[in-house]
Amino acid sequence: MAQGRFAGQERFTGVGLGLRRPHLEAVAARADHGVPFWETCPENVIGDGGRPHRDACAILDRDPVLTHGLAISLGGFDPWDEDYLGDLGRFLVRTGTPWHSEHLCFTAVDGSWLHELLPMPFTREAARHAAARARDLQARLPVPLLLENITYYAELGAAEMDEADFIAEVLEGADVGWLLDVNNVYVNALNFGFDPKAWLSRMPLDRVAQLHIAGHKRFGTLTVDTHGADVIDPVIELMQWTLARLGRPVPVLLERDNHIPDLEDLLAERSRLQAAYDEVLAVPVGGGRG
Amino acid sequence: MAETLALQRALAALVLDPEGAAFEEDPVGFARGQGLPEAHAEAFGRFPGGLAAYRELARLSLVDPIETMFPVTKALLEREGAWEGCIDAFLQTRCVGSRHYRDIAPAFLGWLAETEWGMATWPFLLELAHAELLEVLVARFPDGILPEGLQETPHPGDRLVLDPATQVVAYRHAVHRTSETDPVPEARPTHLLAYRDAEGRAQLMDLTPAAAALLVEAQGRSIREAAQALGLADLPLPLLEELRIRGAIAGFMPA
Repeated sequence: MAQGRFAGQERFTGVGLGLRRPHLEAVAARADHGVPFWETCPENVIGDGGRPHRDACAILDRDPVLTHGLAISLGGFDPWDEDYLGDLGRFLVRTGTPWHSEHLCFTAVDGSWLHELLPMPFTREAARHAAARARDLQARLPVPLLLENITYYAELGAAEMDEADFIAEVLEGADVGWLLDVNNVYVNALNFGFDPKAWLSRMPLDRVAQLHIAGHKRFGTLTVDTHGADVIDPVIELMQWTLARLGRPVPVLLERDNHIPDLEDLLAERSRLQAAYDEVLAVPVGGGRG
Repeated sequence: MAETLALQRALAALVLDPEGAAFEEDPVGFARGQGLPEAHAEAFGRFPGGLAAYRELARLSLVDPIETMFPVTKALLEREGAWEGCIDAFLQTRCVGSRHYRDIAPAFLGWLAETEWGMATWPFLLELAHAELLEVLVARFPDGILPEGLQETPHPGDRLVLDPATQVVAYRHAVHRTSETDPVPEARPTHLLAYRDAEGRAQLMDLTPAAAALLVEAQGRSIREAAQALGLADLPLPLLEELRIRGAIAGFMPA
């Protein structure tokens, strides 16, 4: 299903990096960074200004870019901000991204933004609601929509199904693609005691268009998706297992949002993951445009 | 629909409201207090640690940009034992109404201005917070479209056009001279010019009251007329040209 679903997706393979503010100036100054694509958060670019904004736009206009939203509050109940959706649509067209991803969660309630990825109840009502919102959002975007599975630290309310069934029901109900975050699956498996590979085996992997990978940290009895550490070997192995299962070179994005290292260290981390990617798919990956 | 929204409202209350702090003592009671049906309320009791983590994580997300952008304000209020109370009061009002993470700090400033929180004790608090955010706002101000016909050299009959990012501000306290170790400002009228230099970095410049007034007045009338209205004996054309070179003034519009 994912094959052929997304026009322009063939430009995106290998391991990319999230474009982060501390690296904008350095990345804008060099096109030989070797990163096959970047992922950017529209909320951080739209409406911004100044030197970092100009650097970000220069990179977005030069290199292949995927877009990943943080705060659309897909599972929420607040009405869409039509002005923002207009800006978002124009931004997606400008970047040339083959798809746009959002989180399967809610981030705002009654007009108040919490700026955290909060879990949906695993209920039939919530699944229907999220699927309807995703269909509605998809109809307003100029590119296909992907939804990403999040980490969750508690079930919200009395569950009528498990997380896997909830995600599958939303993806199928909305008929949208899946941004599969393998670190989130791994973290959830640690926190809730399940086998991540068995979990993935139940899922509609034909909908996967992109993977996310990141580091995490344990705090007491809870493992948190911090995006603040190097990716550990078991998560890399889960990425490889997933890629082999998919049998196609979907792009993988390394997320790093906390304790952001120097660009050279991050590029080295990306190269390590690229080697693991190539090991599975044996796909040579070129550098960025320009 | 109704139950999903009720659950989301309950989690928001857990994160933002004062009673959320007592959630772990009685998770089911908290959920009942939010009006949730019994089955959902009991589920809150099955994941107390995970749900409590959301209070910590979400509050961290909201507070982190405030602590980053207002280090002197935080230092002052921490010294007075009032920082936590200030943050709690801010979060409880749920006035972060933007999807943009960069808007959290301005929302905090707006809340201080609207509620005048702490102003009875620290009359300079709003000015202090404003000054801390000023350079960030100037540095990130969206690029604007300048009017056509701007000249580089000022003449007495011209109006001046500030760069869109430039701000002329007046405080009753020298809040820009404070630091985390010395957060209480001297009470003296202060006029500042905040602008973006050629490298895109925010710069602050102390202005005399007359210069500040001229930069405001000469946007709406000629430099000569503005100077006359302000009683200035000389036209400060070299200063205005210098400010254009630095990037504070976009140019001069002939009459």
